Amino acid sequence: MEPVIEFTNVTKQFKGFAVENMDLQVNKGFVTGFIGANGAGKSTTIKLMMNLLRPDEGEVRVFGLDYATHEKAIKERIGFVYDGNVFYEGMNLKDIQRIVGPAYRHWDGALFRQYAEQFELPLNKAVKTFSKGMQMKASLALALSHQAELIIMDEPTAGLDPIFRRELLDLLQDIMLDGERTIFFSTHITSDLDRIADYIAFIKKGKLMFNQSIHEVAENYGLVRGSLELLDRDTEKLFVHVDRTASGFEALTSDVRKTEDVFGEAAVIERASLEDIMYFTNRSDVQHV
Amino acid sequence: MFNLIKRDVIIQKKQLLLFVPFIVFFILMDAHPVLIFLVVSLYVPFNALAFDEKTNVNVLLNSLPYTRKQIIASRYLGTIVYMAASIGVAIISLTLAHQSFTVTHVALSVGLFLLFSAMTFPLFYVLKPGYIFPIVMLSFFLFVGGGPALLRLMDDSLQGLIQFVMDLPMTTLLTGFLAVAIILYSISWAVSSVVYERKAF
Repeated sequence: MEPVIEFTNVTKQFKGFAVENMDLQVNKGFVTGFIGANGAGKSTTIKLMMNLLRPDEGEVRVFGLDYATHEKAIKERIGFVYDGNVFYEGMNLKDIQRIVGPAYRHWDGALFRQYAEQFELPLNKAVKTFSKGMQMKASLALALSHQAELIIMDEPTAGLDPIFRRELLDLLQDIMLDGERTIFFSTHITSDLDRIADYIAFIKKGKLMFNQSIHEVAENYGLVRGSLELLDRDTEKLFVHVDRTASGFEALTSDVRKTEDVFGEAAVIERASLEDIMYFTNRSDVQHV
Repeated sequence: MFNLIKRDVIIQKKQLLLFVPFIVFFILMDAHPVLIFLVVSLYVPFNALAFDEKTNVNVLLNSLPYTRKQIIASRYLGTIVYMAASIGVAIISLTLAHQSFTVTHVALSVGLFLLFSAMTFPLFYVLKPGYIFPIVMLSFFLFVGGGPALLRLMDDSLQGLIQFVMDLPMTTLLTGFLAVAIILYSISWAVSSVVYERKAF
Protein backbone atom coordinates (compact mmCIF):
# COMPACT_ATOMS: atom_id res chain seq x y z
CA MET A 1 0.00 0.00 0.00
CA GLU A 2 1.30 3.39 -0.99
CA PRO A 3 1.64 5.87 1.88
CA VAL A 4 0.79 9.50 1.13
CA ILE A 5 1.91 10.78 4.52
CA GLU A 6 4.76 9.15 6.35
CA PHE A 7 5.99 10.08 9.83
CA THR A 8 9.18 8.36 10.91
CA ASN A 9 10.03 8.65 14.57
CA VAL A 10 8.70 12.21 14.77
CA THR A 11 9.12 14.09 18.03
CA LYS A 12 7.98 17.62 18.80
CA GLN A 13 8.40 19.00 22.29
CA PHE A 14 6.46 21.79 23.95
CA LYS A 15 6.35 22.98 27.52
CA GLY A 16 4.39 20.29 29.34
CA PHE A 17 3.40 18.42 26.18
CA ALA A 18 5.10 16.43 23.46
CA VAL A 19 4.34 14.35 20.42
CA GLU A 20 6.84 11.55 20.85
CA ASN A 21 8.45 9.07 18.47
CA MET A 22 5.45 9.00 16.19
CA ASP A 23 5.42 6.58 13.29
CA LEU A 24 2.36 7.12 11.17
CA GLN A 25 1.40 6.11 7.65
CA VAL A 26 -1.63 7.48 5.85
CA ASN A 27 -2.55 5.31 2.89
CA LYS A 28 -3.39 6.59 -0.55
CA GLY A 29 -6.98 6.43 -1.75
CA PHE A 30 -8.55 6.05 1.70
CA VAL A 31 -10.19 8.13 4.39
CA THR A 32 -8.29 8.13 7.66
CA GLY A 33 -10.04 9.45 10.73
CA PHE A 34 -7.80 10.82 13.43
CA ILE A 35 -9.26 10.58 16.90
CA GLY A 36 -8.17 11.50 20.38
CA ALA A 37 -9.30 13.51 23.37
CA ASN A 38 -8.95 17.28 23.50
CA GLY A 39 -5.29 18.16 23.92
CA ALA A 40 -4.10 14.71 22.82
CA GLY A 41 -2.01 16.21 20.01
CA LYS A 42 -4.32 16.04 16.99
CA SER A 43 -3.77 19.64 15.88
CA THR A 44 -0.04 19.39 16.55
CA THR A 45 0.17 16.30 14.35
CA ILE A 46 -1.78 18.03 11.58
CA LYS A 47 0.46 21.09 11.82
CA LEU A 48 3.48 18.82 11.48
CA MET A 49 1.91 17.36 8.33
CA MET A 50 1.42 20.85 6.93
CA ASN A 51 4.91 22.03 7.94
CA LEU A 52 3.31 24.73 10.08
CA LEU A 53 5.40 23.13 12.80
CA ARG A 54 8.73 21.44 12.29
CA PRO A 55 9.68 18.28 14.11
CA ASP A 56 12.52 18.41 16.64
CA GLU A 57 13.47 14.92 15.55
CA GLY A 58 12.38 12.44 12.91
CA GLU A 59 11.10 12.93 9.40
CA VAL A 60 7.82 13.93 7.79
CA ARG A 61 7.34 12.96 4.15
CA VAL A 62 4.29 13.75 2.06
CA PHE A 63 3.87 12.12 -1.39
CA GLY A 64 7.30 10.63 -0.68
CA LEU A 65 8.83 14.12 -0.66
CA ASP A 66 10.42 16.05 2.17
CA TYR A 67 9.47 19.60 3.10
CA ALA A 68 13.02 20.93 3.20
CA THR A 69 13.41 20.65 -0.58
CA HIS A 70 9.88 20.19 -1.96
CA GLU A 71 7.65 22.42 0.16
CA LYS A 72 5.90 24.06 -2.79
CA ALA A 73 5.42 20.84 -4.76
CA ILE A 74 3.86 19.19 -1.71
CA LYS A 75 1.52 22.04 -0.84
CA GLU A 76 0.44 22.35 -4.45
CA ARG A 77 -1.16 18.91 -4.02
CA ILE A 78 -2.73 19.41 -0.56
CA GLY A 79 -6.07 20.99 0.23
CA PHE A 80 -6.12 22.14 3.84
CA VAL A 81 -9.35 22.80 5.70
CA TYR A 82 -8.68 24.94 8.71
CA ASP A 83 -9.94 24.74 12.24
CA GLY A 84 -11.25 28.27 12.71
CA ASN A 85 -11.22 31.24 10.45
CA VAL A 86 -7.91 32.15 8.90
CA PHE A 87 -9.30 34.51 6.31
CA TYR A 88 -9.35 38.28 6.47
CA GLU A 89 -12.64 38.87 8.19
CA GLY A 90 -13.86 41.88 6.29
CA MET A 91 -13.21 40.26 2.93
CA ASN A 92 -15.67 38.41 0.75
CA LEU A 93 -15.08 35.07 -0.94
CA LYS A 94 -14.43 36.62 -4.31
CA ASP A 95 -11.45 38.52 -2.93
CA ILE A 96 -10.24 35.55 -0.92
CA GLN A 97 -10.35 33.55 -4.14
CA ARG A 98 -8.19 36.25 -5.75
CA ILE A 99 -5.57 35.62 -3.07
CA VAL A 100 -5.77 31.84 -2.81
CA GLY A 101 -6.44 30.93 -6.47
CA PRO A 102 -3.31 32.30 -8.16
CA ALA A 103 -1.14 30.51 -5.62
CA TYR A 104 -2.00 27.18 -7.25
CA ARG A 105 -0.96 26.06 -10.70
CA HIS A 106 -4.07 23.89 -11.09
CA TRP A 107 -6.61 26.36 -9.77
CA ASP A 108 -10.00 25.93 -11.41
CA GLY A 109 -12.08 29.09 -11.02
CA ALA A 110 -15.14 27.52 -12.66
CA LEU A 111 -14.99 24.58 -10.26
CA PHE A 112 -14.74 26.97 -7.32
CA ARG A 113 -17.84 28.86 -8.46
CA GLN A 114 -19.59 25.52 -8.88
CA TYR A 115 -18.78 24.51 -5.29
CA ALA A 116 -19.76 27.96 -4.02
CA GLU A 117 -23.11 27.49 -5.71
CA GLN A 118 -23.50 23.93 -4.45
CA PHE A 119 -22.68 24.99 -0.88
CA GLU A 120 -24.89 28.08 -1.23
CA LEU A 121 -22.03 30.42 -0.39
CA PRO A 122 -22.48 34.10 -1.22
CA LEU A 123 -19.42 35.40 -3.09
CA ASN A 124 -19.94 39.06 -2.28
CA LYS A 125 -20.68 38.87 1.42
CA ALA A 126 -18.01 39.41 4.09
CA VAL A 127 -16.73 36.13 5.51
CA LYS A 128 -17.18 37.43 9.05
CA THR A 129 -20.95 37.24 8.58
CA PHE A 130 -20.67 33.49 7.80
CA SER A 131 -21.79 30.89 10.31
CA LYS A 132 -19.28 28.28 11.45
CA GLY A 133 -20.72 25.81 8.95
CA MET A 134 -20.46 28.28 6.09
CA GLN A 135 -16.86 29.11 6.99
CA MET A 136 -16.09 25.43 6.90
CA LYS A 137 -17.79 25.08 3.53
CA ALA A 138 -15.83 28.07 2.22
CA SER A 139 -12.60 26.52 3.38
CA LEU A 140 -13.59 23.21 1.80
CA ALA A 141 -14.58 24.83 -1.50
CA LEU A 142 -11.14 26.46 -1.69
CA ALA A 143 -9.44 23.17 -0.82
CA LEU A 144 -11.35 21.26 -3.51
CA SER A 145 -10.81 23.74 -6.32
CA HIS A 146 -7.21 23.03 -7.15
CA GLN A 147 -7.38 19.29 -7.75
CA ALA A 148 -5.79 18.44 -4.43
CA GLU A 149 -4.84 14.79 -4.10
CA LEU A 150 -4.71 14.97 -0.32
CA ILE A 151 -7.31 16.74 1.80
CA ILE A 152 -6.29 17.44 5.39
CA MET A 153 -8.97 18.71 7.75
CA ASP A 154 -8.64 19.77 11.35
CA GLU A 155 -11.91 19.12 13.20
CA PRO A 156 -14.14 19.85 10.20
CA THR A 157 -17.32 18.68 11.88
CA ALA A 158 -16.83 20.44 15.21
CA GLY A 159 -19.57 22.99 15.85
CA LEU A 160 -21.66 21.90 12.85
CA ASP A 161 -25.31 20.99 13.08
CA PRO A 162 -26.19 17.32 12.44
CA ILE A 163 -27.76 18.01 9.05
CA PHE A 164 -24.75 19.76 7.66
CA ARG A 165 -22.46 17.20 9.23
CA ARG A 166 -24.28 14.49 7.31
CA GLU A 167 -24.13 16.55 4.11
CA LEU A 168 -20.43 17.09 4.56
CA LEU A 169 -19.76 13.38 5.05
CA ASP A 170 -21.79 12.56 1.91
CA LEU A 171 -19.80 15.12 0.00
CA LEU A 172 -16.51 13.67 1.22
CA GLN A 173 -17.71 10.26 0.08
CA ASP A 174 -18.45 11.70 -3.35
CA ILE A 175 -15.02 13.22 -3.78
CA MET A 176 -13.44 9.88 -2.82
CA LEU A 177 -15.13 8.05 -5.68
CA ASP A 178 -12.31 8.34 -8.20
CA GLY A 179 -9.98 6.49 -5.81
CA GLU A 180 -7.15 8.94 -6.38
CA ARG A 181 -7.86 11.14 -3.41
CA THR A 182 -6.82 10.69 0.18
CA ILE A 183 -8.54 12.30 3.14
CA PHE A 184 -7.10 12.71 6.60
CA PHE A 185 -9.25 14.39 9.19
CA SER A 186 -9.32 14.83 12.92
CA THR A 187 -12.50 14.64 14.94
CA HIS A 188 -13.78 13.70 18.32
CA ILE A 189 -17.23 12.86 16.98
CA THR A 190 -16.72 9.16 16.46
CA SER A 191 -20.03 8.59 14.68
CA ASP A 192 -18.56 10.55 11.73
CA LEU A 193 -15.99 7.82 11.33
CA ASP A 194 -18.34 4.85 11.32
CA ARG A 195 -19.86 6.49 8.30
CA ILE A 196 -16.87 7.20 6.10
CA ALA A 197 -13.50 6.22 7.57
CA ASP A 198 -11.45 3.36 6.15
CA TYR A 199 -8.70 3.74 8.74
CA ILE A 200 -8.68 4.99 12.30
CA ALA A 201 -5.63 6.53 13.88
CA PHE A 202 -5.89 7.10 17.60
CA ILE A 203 -3.65 9.45 19.55
CA LYS A 204 -3.40 9.76 23.29
CA LYS A 205 -1.17 12.23 25.13
CA GLY A 206 1.04 12.71 22.09
CA LYS A 207 1.46 8.99 21.42
CA LEU A 208 -0.09 7.11 18.54
CA MET A 209 -1.98 4.23 20.14
CA PHE A 210 -2.97 2.55 16.88
CA ASN A 211 -3.56 3.12 13.19
CA GLN A 212 -5.73 0.31 11.84
CA SER A 213 -8.37 -0.28 9.23
CA ILE A 214 -11.89 0.03 10.55
CA HIS A 215 -12.33 -3.73 10.02
CA GLU A 216 -9.25 -4.54 12.04
CA VAL A 217 -10.48 -2.28 14.81
CA ALA A 218 -13.86 -4.06 14.77
CA GLU A 219 -12.15 -7.47 14.80
CA ASN A 220 -9.54 -6.75 17.44
CA TYR A 221 -11.38 -4.65 19.98
CA GLY A 222 -14.18 -5.92 22.14
CA LEU A 223 -16.14 -4.94 25.18
CA VAL A 224 -16.05 -7.70 27.77
CA ARG A 225 -18.51 -8.16 30.64
CA GLY A 226 -18.42 -10.78 33.34
CA SER A 227 -18.37 -11.53 37.02
CA LEU A 228 -15.52 -10.34 39.21
CA GLU A 229 -14.29 -13.89 39.93
CA LEU A 230 -12.99 -14.07 36.36
CA LEU A 231 -10.43 -11.39 37.08
CA ASP A 232 -6.95 -12.21 38.25
CA ARG A 233 -3.48 -10.95 37.49
CA ASP A 234 -3.22 -13.04 34.31
CA THR A 235 -6.64 -12.41 32.83
CA GLU A 236 -6.38 -8.67 33.46
CA LYS A 237 -3.41 -8.59 31.10
CA LEU A 238 -5.87 -9.12 28.27
CA PHE A 239 -7.51 -5.78 28.94
CA VAL A 240 -6.69 -2.23 28.06
CA HIS A 241 -8.69 -1.10 31.07
CA VAL A 242 -11.12 -2.68 33.51
CA ASP A 243 -14.05 -0.98 35.23
CA ARG A 244 -15.28 -2.82 38.33
CA THR A 245 -18.75 -2.53 39.81
CA ALA A 246 -20.50 -4.49 42.58
CA SER A 247 -22.21 -6.68 40.01
CA GLY A 248 -19.23 -7.43 37.84
CA PHE A 249 -16.69 -5.90 35.48
CA GLU A 250 -16.66 -4.23 32.12
CA ALA A 251 -13.39 -4.09 30.21
CA LEU A 252 -11.91 -3.34 26.82
CA THR A 253 -9.72 -5.87 25.10
CA SER A 254 -7.58 -5.30 22.04
CA ASP A 255 -7.40 -9.03 21.33
CA VAL A 256 -10.90 -10.43 21.02
CA ARG A 257 -9.80 -13.91 19.87
CA LYS A 258 -7.48 -14.55 22.78
CA THR A 259 -10.08 -13.23 25.22
CA GLU A 260 -12.63 -15.64 23.77
CA ASP A 261 -10.18 -18.51 24.17
CA VAL A 262 -9.50 -17.64 27.79
CA PHE A 263 -13.04 -16.93 28.98
CA GLY A 264 -15.12 -19.07 26.64
CA GLU A 265 -18.78 -18.76 27.54
CA ALA A 266 -18.03 -17.30 30.99
CA ALA A 267 -17.85 -13.70 29.72
CA VAL A 268 -19.95 -11.71 27.27
CA ILE A 269 -17.95 -10.13 24.47
CA GLU A 270 -19.53 -7.44 22.35
CA ARG A 271 -18.31 -5.22 19.58
CA ALA A 272 -16.62 -2.11 21.00
CA SER A 273 -17.62 1.22 19.50
CA LEU A 274 -14.93 3.79 18.77
CA GLU A 275 -16.25 5.75 21.70
CA ASP A 276 -15.75 2.72 23.97
CA ILE A 277 -12.22 2.37 22.66
CA MET A 278 -11.46 6.04 23.26
CA TYR A 279 -13.05 6.00 26.69
CA PHE A 280 -11.30 2.91 28.00
CA THR A 281 -7.95 3.72 26.44
CA ASN A 282 -7.99 7.20 27.93
CA ARG A 283 -8.69 5.73 31.34
CA SER A 284 -6.05 3.06 30.98
CA ASP A 285 -3.36 4.91 32.91
CA VAL A 286 -5.73 5.47 35.82
CA GLN A 287 -5.33 1.75 36.38
CA HIS A 288 -1.56 1.83 36.39
CA VAL A 289 -1.26 4.68 38.89
CA MET B 1 5.67 35.78 -5.50
CA PHE B 2 3.96 38.44 -7.59
CA ASN B 3 0.65 37.13 -6.20
CA LEU B 4 1.85 37.61 -2.67
CA ILE B 5 2.78 41.21 -3.44
CA LYS B 6 -0.57 41.78 -5.13
CA ARG B 7 -2.28 40.47 -1.99
CA ASP B 8 -1.43 43.72 -0.13
CA VAL B 9 -3.61 45.66 -2.54
CA ILE B 10 -6.48 43.15 -2.58
CA ILE B 11 -6.84 43.13 1.20
CA GLN B 12 -6.99 46.91 1.46
CA LYS B 13 -8.77 47.98 -1.67
CA LYS B 14 -11.29 49.97 0.37
CA GLN B 15 -8.52 51.77 2.23
CA LEU B 16 -6.87 52.56 -1.09
CA LEU B 17 -9.83 54.71 -2.03
CA LEU B 18 -8.69 57.04 0.75
CA PHE B 19 -5.14 57.15 -0.53
CA VAL B 20 -5.50 60.22 -2.76
CA PRO B 21 -7.61 62.19 -0.22
CA PHE B 22 -4.87 61.29 2.29
CA ILE B 23 -2.24 62.94 0.09
CA VAL B 24 -4.50 65.91 -0.63
CA PHE B 25 -4.99 66.40 3.11
CA PHE B 26 -1.24 66.63 3.69
CA ILE B 27 -0.81 68.99 0.74
CA LEU B 28 -3.61 71.23 2.05
CA MET B 29 -2.01 71.20 5.50
CA ASP B 30 1.08 72.52 3.75
CA ALA B 31 3.16 69.66 5.12
CA HIS B 32 6.84 69.45 4.28
CA PRO B 33 7.45 67.35 1.11
CA VAL B 34 9.75 65.00 3.06
CA LEU B 35 6.91 64.27 5.49
CA ILE B 36 4.45 63.77 2.62
CA PHE B 37 6.72 61.30 0.81
CA LEU B 38 7.38 59.48 4.08
CA VAL B 39 3.75 59.05 5.14
CA VAL B 40 2.50 58.04 1.68
CA SER B 41 5.22 55.37 1.58
CA LEU B 42 4.11 54.03 4.95
CA TYR B 43 0.47 53.80 3.87
CA VAL B 44 0.25 50.51 1.93
CA PRO B 45 2.86 48.33 3.67
CA PHE B 46 1.86 49.23 7.23
CA ASN B 47 -1.85 49.00 6.48
CA ALA B 48 -1.19 45.50 5.10
CA LEU B 49 0.76 44.53 8.21
CA ALA B 50 -2.07 45.83 10.42
CA PHE B 51 -4.51 43.62 8.45
CA ASP B 52 -2.23 40.60 8.74
CA GLU B 53 -1.92 41.10 12.47
CA LYS B 54 -5.67 40.89 12.95
CA THR B 55 -6.09 37.44 11.40
CA ASN B 56 -4.40 34.12 11.55
CA VAL B 57 -3.07 34.85 8.10
CA ASN B 58 0.24 33.07 8.58
CA VAL B 59 -1.60 29.76 8.78
CA LEU B 60 -3.34 30.54 5.50
CA LEU B 61 -0.18 31.68 3.70
CA ASN B 62 1.86 28.75 4.94
CA SER B 63 -0.69 26.22 3.81
CA LEU B 64 -0.53 27.64 0.27
CA PRO B 65 2.29 26.57 -2.04
CA TYR B 66 4.75 29.23 -0.93
CA THR B 67 7.97 28.86 0.99
CA ARG B 68 8.55 30.90 4.11
CA LYS B 69 11.43 32.68 2.38
CA GLN B 70 9.06 33.78 -0.39
CA ILE B 71 6.53 35.12 2.10
CA ILE B 72 9.18 37.31 3.72
CA ALA B 73 10.71 38.29 0.38
CA SER B 74 7.31 39.43 -0.87
CA ARG B 75 6.97 41.70 2.16
CA TYR B 76 10.36 43.36 1.62
CA LEU B 77 10.16 43.57 -2.17
CA GLY B 78 6.49 44.56 -2.13
CA THR B 79 7.30 47.39 0.25
CA ILE B 80 9.80 48.82 -2.25
CA VAL B 81 7.31 48.47 -5.11
CA TYR B 82 4.51 50.19 -3.15
CA MET B 83 6.88 52.86 -1.87
CA ALA B 84 7.90 53.69 -5.44
CA ALA B 85 4.29 53.74 -6.65
CA SER B 86 3.13 55.84 -3.68
CA ILE B 87 5.91 58.37 -4.14
CA GLY B 88 5.01 58.49 -7.84
CA VAL B 89 1.41 59.38 -6.98
CA ALA B 90 2.62 61.95 -4.44
CA ILE B 91 4.91 63.54 -7.03
CA ILE B 92 2.02 63.84 -9.49
CA SER B 93 -0.24 65.28 -6.79
CA LEU B 94 2.36 67.81 -5.67
CA THR B 95 3.02 68.84 -9.26
CA LEU B 96 -0.70 69.30 -9.94
CA ALA B 97 -0.97 71.35 -6.76
CA HIS B 98 2.01 73.49 -7.87
CA GLN B 99 3.96 72.61 -4.74
CA SER B 100 7.71 72.61 -4.99
CA PHE B 101 9.91 69.72 -3.96
CA THR B 102 13.38 68.45 -4.81
CA VAL B 103 15.08 65.16 -5.54
CA THR B 104 16.79 65.58 -2.17
CA HIS B 105 13.40 65.53 -0.47
CA VAL B 106 12.52 62.26 -2.21
CA ALA B 107 15.88 60.67 -1.41
CA LEU B 108 15.69 61.74 2.22
CA SER B 109 12.18 60.29 2.65
CA VAL B 110 13.15 57.05 0.95
CA GLY B 111 16.09 56.69 3.33
CA LEU B 112 13.96 57.48 6.40
CA PHE B 113 11.22 55.12 5.24
CA LEU B 114 13.66 52.26 4.65
CA LEU B 115 15.23 52.84 8.07
CA PHE B 116 11.87 52.81 9.83
CA SER B 117 10.72 49.71 7.91
CA ALA B 118 14.02 47.96 8.59
CA MET B 119 13.56 48.48 12.30
CA THR B 120 9.87 47.61 12.57
CA PHE B 121 9.29 44.72 10.10
CA PRO B 122 11.17 42.08 12.12
CA LEU B 123 8.98 42.98 15.12
CA PHE B 124 5.97 41.69 13.24
CA TYR B 125 7.63 38.30 13.02
CA VAL B 126 9.21 38.24 16.48
CA LEU B 127 6.39 39.54 18.64
CA LYS B 128 3.02 37.98 19.26
CA PRO B 129 0.11 39.54 17.38
CA GLY B 130 -1.64 42.15 19.47
CA TYR B 131 1.54 43.50 21.05
CA ILE B 132 3.05 44.77 17.86
CA PHE B 133 1.17 47.95 17.19
CA PRO B 134 1.66 49.51 20.66
CA ILE B 135 5.35 48.64 20.54
CA VAL B 136 5.79 50.11 17.08
CA MET B 137 4.06 53.31 18.25
CA LEU B 138 6.22 53.47 21.35
CA SER B 139 9.43 52.91 19.42
CA PHE B 140 8.35 55.57 16.93
CA PHE B 141 7.95 58.13 19.74
CA LEU B 142 11.22 57.05 21.35
CA PHE B 143 12.90 57.35 17.97
CA VAL B 144 11.47 60.81 17.28
CA GLY B 145 11.62 62.12 20.86
CA GLY B 146 14.64 60.35 22.24
CA GLY B 147 16.89 60.47 19.18
CA PRO B 148 17.67 64.21 19.26
CA ALA B 149 18.02 64.17 23.05
CA LEU B 150 20.52 61.36 22.79
CA LEU B 151 22.43 63.26 20.16
CA ARG B 152 22.58 66.35 22.40
CA LEU B 153 23.84 64.19 25.24
CA MET B 154 26.61 62.81 23.12
CA ASP B 155 27.23 66.20 21.57
CA ASP B 156 30.71 66.65 22.97
CA SER B 157 32.09 63.27 22.11
CA LEU B 158 30.47 63.34 18.68
CA GLN B 159 31.51 66.91 17.91
CA GLY B 160 34.37 65.81 15.68
CA LEU B 161 32.24 63.29 13.78
CA ILE B 162 29.33 65.70 13.35
CA GLN B 163 31.72 68.37 12.06
CA PHE B 164 33.16 65.88 9.62
CA VAL B 165 29.73 64.84 8.39
CA MET B 166 28.51 68.42 8.10
CA ASP B 167 31.51 69.30 5.96
CA LEU B 168 30.61 66.62 3.40
CA PRO B 169 28.89 67.76 0.23
CA MET B 170 25.10 67.24 0.22
CA THR B 171 25.15 64.55 -2.50
CA THR B 172 27.80 62.49 -0.69
CA LEU B 173 25.83 62.85 2.52
CA LEU B 174 22.59 61.71 0.90
CA THR B 175 24.21 58.85 -0.98
CA GLY B 176 25.87 57.66 2.23
CA PHE B 177 22.58 57.91 4.12
CA LEU B 178 20.72 55.97 1.43
CA ALA B 179 23.46 53.34 1.31
CA VAL B 180 23.26 52.87 5.09
CA ALA B 181 19.44 52.64 4.88
CA ILE B 182 19.61 50.03 2.11
CA ILE B 183 22.19 47.98 4.02
CA LEU B 184 20.06 48.06 7.18
CA TYR B 185 16.97 47.14 5.16
CA SER B 186 18.81 44.13 3.72
CA ILE B 187 20.00 43.06 7.18
CA SER B 188 16.43 43.43 8.44
CA TRP B 189 15.24 41.19 5.56
CA ALA B 190 17.77 38.52 6.51
CA VAL B 191 16.80 38.73 10.20
CA SER B 192 13.07 38.44 9.42
CA SER B 193 13.75 35.47 7.13
CA VAL B 194 15.65 33.61 9.84
CA VAL B 195 13.02 34.39 12.48
CA TYR B 196 10.11 33.41 10.22
CA GLU B 197 11.85 30.22 9.12
CA ARG B 198 11.89 29.03 12.76
CA LYS B 199 8.40 30.18 13.65
CA ALA B 200 5.68 27.78 14.75
CA PHE B 201 2.11 28.49 13.67
